[in-house]
Amino acid sequence: MDNIVKKNRKRLKYKDSERTKCINNAQQDSMVHKKRFTDFWKNSSLSVKASFLIMGLAHLRYKCFYKAICYFLIEVSMILYMLIRGIDDVIGFFTLGTVKADAWARVKGDDSIVMLLMGIFSLIVISLFIYFYVQCIRSSYEMQLDFEKGIKCKTFKENVAEYLDKKFYKLALSSPIVGVCIFNVLPIVFMILIAFTNYGGTIVPPELVDWVGLKNFQKLIVLSKFGPTFMKILRWNLVWAVISTTLNYFVGIGLAMLLNKKCVKGKAIWRAFPVLAYAIPGFITLLAFKFMFSYGGPINQIIVAHGGKAIGFLDLDARSTSRIIGLLVNCWISVPSIMLLATGHLSNIDKTLYEAAKIDGAGKFASFRKITMPYMLFATMPVLLSQFVGNFNNFGIFYFLRGGLYNKGYFLASDTDLLINWLYNLSIDNNYYSIGAAISLIIFMITSAISLFIYVKSPSYREEDTFQ
Amino acid sequence: MLKRDKLDTVITYMLLILVAIIFLFPCLYLILASFSKSGSIYSFKGFFPKSYSLQTFVKLFTDTRMYNYPRWFMNSLFVATGSCILGTFLTILTAYTMSRFDFKGRKTIMKSTMVLGMFPSFMGMIAVYLLMTQFGLINHLWGLILIYAAGAPMGYLTQKGFFDTIPKAIDEAAKIDGATNFQIFTKINLPLSKPIIVYTALTAFTWPWSDFILPKLLLKEKNLYTVAVGLMSLDETQFARFAAGSVFIALPIVILYFCLVKNMVEGISEGAIKG
Repeated sequence: MDNIVKKNRKRLKYKDSERTKCINNAQQDSMVHKKRFTDFWKNSSLSVKASFLIMGLAHLRYKCFYKAICYFLIEVSMILYMLIRGIDDVIGFFTLGTVKADAWARVKGDDSIVMLLMGIFSLIVISLFIYFYVQCIRSSYEMQLDFEKGIKCKTFKENVAEYLDKKFYKLALSSPIVGVCIFNVLPIVFMILIAFTNYGGTIVPPELVDWVGLKNFQKLIVLSKFGPTFMKILRWNLVWAVISTTLNYFVGIGLAMLLNKKCVKGKAIWRAFPVLAYAIPGFITLLAFKFMFSYGGPINQIIVAHGGKAIGFLDLDARSTSRIIGLLVNCWISVPSIMLLATGHLSNIDKTLYEAAKIDGAGKFASFRKITMPYMLFATMPVLLSQFVGNFNNFGIFYFLRGGLYNKGYFLASDTDLLINWLYNLSIDNNYYSIGAAISLIIFMITSAISLFIYVKSPSYREEDTFQ
Repeated sequence: MLKRDKLDTVITYMLLILVAIIFLFPCLYLILASFSKSGSIYSFKGFFPKSYSLQTFVKLFTDTRMYNYPRWFMNSLFVATGSCILGTFLTILTAYTMSRFDFKGRKTIMKSTMVLGMFPSFMGMIAVYLLMTQFGLINHLWGLILIYAAGAPMGYLTQKGFFDTIPKAIDEAAKIDGATNFQIFTKINLPLSKPIIVYTALTAFTWPWSDFILPKLLLKEKNLYTVAVGLMSLDETQFARFAAGSVFIALPIVILYFCLVKNMVEGISEGAIKG
């Protein structure tokens, strides 16, 4: 006991000293920055200063031609962009359009939504340009210092070679990052901004959209028609995500281990069955299942043939049966993919670990708990998380099994609908764009808080090289 | 001990048979439905059609006036192949870099991709739709490929988990021998990571292959439909045609699997480092 306290105290002390060190470092850093800046003004040559106006001049002066051309082209294209549409786009971002379309007077009005989108785009372009601008000046100053020392600027070839070795990560990450920015980040930013406008309902272009601040969130709390539905759906959504994720995960791993057993012969054949299920696209399976459980479907036909009464498994009032069917069908669909992944990871576990455990007298269950499970959790933690989020936002299941049903006590939703289904009903079927955006912002906050917490606590984030 | 082993084997096989039935049955049901003669959903006797014929398949490929299935199939194939190649490339590259390099902002990128992945995608889709109209990519299959491929690296975490388990000692050995980082990636780690590449390619292929929301939003012309959208647009009375169409959709993936199964399953750490 005493020992622990001592240790903790030691750790605290260590942390304190760390902190003061950090603060000192920060102060030093800012001092260094200031000094560097004054040095820069004093020492930089005229051509470096001229680079503030015309990018690439310094590079030209110090004979680094290809960079000079690149920087110059960047500046020219930026100026052209700003003149042609950049300035208008930035202004449009704040006003969201001022001219209303009028068919009689043949006035082509402003399209607020497009203006918002292009506004975001222009802001991105501007920040990119600022980045290049700073880079240009920094590199021209460095080049000057090198030049004075007599170091020649790196040739094009050397630079390229550097990108294949030391800076390989920059080369490798550049294209994915650009793609993700355009097709993921930009739409998400757009969506977040929409949550603060009055877009939706009757206010869609050619009507002018406007900024309304936090009014949408207020509506969610004050207006009674959204609030209760939201809470009910949220509760079911959380239960669904937890149950279906654990179910799928353990069934998947169990299946993989079953197939990995030494006594199983013809593994490829056995594995082919789940993969067959995996290969059939989800919506086909879902529609097939829907039909199976429908009134005229085979299951009900059999029940009727044996003298029973047809059961509406997926009917409006079939509360828990439809939920359970949803869980099982989801299991059927997602278990094969987890199994495939787990098979790959299982074959990665060092076989000698099991042999050692066997020699030490560990049973099968013990070695599963102490070797397989920790390893699998470590390797598949990210998958588990993405499974959780995927299940939380599992659109397909209830869209296909029970789409288009609206229950009593719910506003534009049914009792099996997840938040994502409700979002779809609200924003795509019924045009409640801004409310939908506000709800999806709330969904996002919930899921991200939960999974960020789990992820940061998980071993695969904290100790990345445990198994290396 | 021997007896216990035997019992164990028997139980294992019984479980396997059960699993096989659970997974096979709905597929079998669809396949049989595709061979049903009348084509309507209500002429079934229990799970099985009353009479069988090949007519639906013939109709599927010849009767293209209303539903041009062969065309849809080619569209799907084009989109899925394109986004599979591009997406796998981007994902593997991202995952590898995130696993092997320690650079400024790495943890920030990891956290922010996690956070980004948590946004419900519908609201973003409206924005994507508007973006595509701005770029003039509506009714272009290329637009779909771009979106799928660009979104693929967001799921890099699985692949990163895999690269994390490849021992770093191999890299260091190569570095001592004078290999650049690019060479280490292409000559050492890439060949070692066949299983995960196959997994990535499969998922990158199946996602566009079976997605229906995005194509439905972006493709307005009937001739440009992918199979998923096309099958969804089928009339409810055309159940047999639907079943036949889905059997054909599943075919390429099943074939792909049987070609690639070896890579998926073989372990890689055996023999990589010994002693």
